[in-house]
Amino acid sequence: MSAVSLRNVFKSYDSTLVIHGVNLEIHDGEFIVFVGPSGCGKSTLMRMVAGLEDITAGEILIDGQVVNDLPPRDRDIAMVFQDYALYPNKTVFENMAFGLRLRKTPESEIRASVQAAAATLQIEHLFDRLPKALSGGQRQRVAMGRAIVRQPKVFLFDEPLSNLDALLRNQVRAEIKKLHHRLKGTTIYVTHDQVEAMTLADRIVVLRAGVIVQVGTPDEIYHQPRHRFVAGFTGSPPMNFVDASVVSDNGQVMLNLVSDHRLPLPETLSRAVEERVGDEVEFGIRPENLHLANSEPPADWPKLSLKVELIEPMGAENLVHFALCKNSLVGRFGNHVRPAPGTLIDVVLDPTKMHLFDKQSGETLNRF
Amino acid sequence: MRTARISPARRFFLLHLPMALIVLFAIGPYLWMLITSLKPESTLFSANRSLLPDVVTLENYVRLFSRTGFLRNLGHSLVVASGAVVLGLSVSITAAYSFSRYRFRGRRTLMLTFLLINMFPVVLLIIPLFIIMKHLQLLDTHAGLILAHSTFAIPFATWMMISYFNAVPRSLDEAAQVDGCRPFGAMLRVVLPVTLPGIIATGIYIFITSWNEYLYASVLAGQDVRVLTVAVQTLIGEYEIAWGLLTGGGVVGALPVTLLFMLIQKRLIAGMTQGAVKG
Repeated sequence: MSAVSLRNVFKSYDSTLVIHGVNLEIHDGEFIVFVGPSGCGKSTLMRMVAGLEDITAGEILIDGQVVNDLPPRDRDIAMVFQDYALYPNKTVFENMAFGLRLRKTPESEIRASVQAAAATLQIEHLFDRLPKALSGGQRQRVAMGRAIVRQPKVFLFDEPLSNLDALLRNQVRAEIKKLHHRLKGTTIYVTHDQVEAMTLADRIVVLRAGVIVQVGTPDEIYHQPRHRFVAGFTGSPPMNFVDASVVSDNGQVMLNLVSDHRLPLPETLSRAVEERVGDEVEFGIRPENLHLANSEPPADWPKLSLKVELIEPMGAENLVHFALCKNSLVGRFGNHVRPAPGTLIDVVLDPTKMHLFDKQSGETLNRF
Repeated sequence: MRTARISPARRFFLLHLPMALIVLFAIGPYLWMLITSLKPESTLFSANRSLLPDVVTLENYVRLFSRTGFLRNLGHSLVVASGAVVLGLSVSITAAYSFSRYRFRGRRTLMLTFLLINMFPVVLLIIPLFIIMKHLQLLDTHAGLILAHSTFAIPFATWMMISYFNAVPRSLDEAAQVDGCRPFGAMLRVVLPVTLPGIIATGIYIFITSWNEYLYASVLAGQDVRVLTVAVQTLIGEYEIAWGLLTGGGVVGALPVTLLFMLIQKRLIAGMTQGAVKG
């Protein structure tokens, strides 16, 4: 049985439809991340699970029970808000105990549960403080403590790291992951940051304009994107895209890149597009799948001669931008690769990592 | 940045002296009232009168409380002002919370109506109010006067409270609801404690306006329920003004409001929502 099910869920404000028939099964104990650009409906979708937004049509089930008409307090969920939403007039202890007090839990049990949650998050020494006397990271922990203390069926996180600085964000991100390993609670986590999504999720739900574009493990999302949008949203820097057309050369299906480079296709891809000769497509390849020709790659990998535009040293690696007609390609190389801008170098492409997308629909043409 | 050193003399003429003059202008009438109330009535109009009293006496106050029904008038004022605070706060808090938190049909129109009511001079409402109160047999009663004072107190208090509620992030209500509160419980247990300084400020505003109100108090009441402002006014006779009693009454009347302010001014400026959210 799924912990949370969304069945054909719609949401509209007045006449504007913001969620277009979402279907999703979230398994017990699973860490699900909703990711997408701002305005894609990810927060709205989670708030509907929480009961903070009405459901226009469809059904939401928690633990097999339809919760459409249940208020948030009866859904057995806990939520960590983007701005933490700690009660400013209550101490850390009372903030964490509030939910238990409302449920008339015996005092001794409250004390034990709050102690246990605080020990997990190492915030016991803050019990008597008011939220205004806490740092951002401490507030974040107290907010998480308030959520785990009740041991709810579902944890909801609404962009919980977006108010922390970069260093603290990495630290808390790791803590959230550890926490989930320990508690194994079903979790829905909303973020616009694909790094958070990739590192935390069991499965990622990529949303765009109120529609689920793809659901999959981080590996599937990264290596087998079903849509150009997913490919372009994940990875940093994201996948390179080049306009291309499918051509047939002596019976062999090839790609004609805009810059009139001819690119032979691996067998799986050429079979996938052999019906589409003459069609406009988009060719995609990730920066790490570009290799230098002199690094002894397999001899049959297709080669391109590209002009270096600029280099971005990242410390452990260098990002090299190449010009390819109007498009540009980014390659990710070791930090010893430092070609001078303006020089022409030979680059080979890993044929097993090539992606083709339909120009109009953006759907992938690969067969995974 | 230029850091100019201002000489003490310049500072005195540009800052301290103008400030002292403004304060003196504002506080002058009250000082005069206080000083006059402490002078014997006989010396007020004597030929060798002075600004400061030669003899300080409390005879005006003794006369005020022993010979007139001033204590009873104070009691009436207290009942009416407190009643207006209780009624005004309970209505304006719930109204303002709905305006702040819910989006419903007619919300803007209703809010504008509340604002519009404040734009009419109260004197326009006095005849319809008189007729209504007469029909309800509320003339010259505490309840009538409390209702009358609520007509101008509630709209303004509602607008005041809306801004206080708007300053409280909605995520606080939502967190409370997720934690197990009903919407009303979230307001009561989480939002109201946070807005307490605002509620106190609004309550004091209602108290002061009701305490100082004269027109309704004299037209809709004045016989059985004679509040302070009306009572003080009766000391101004056709041929004679009892200056000693009048100023004494003025001082006593101003005291509760002044004390209230001194008591709560610290709470008013306390930043209660600090630390609620990011920051």
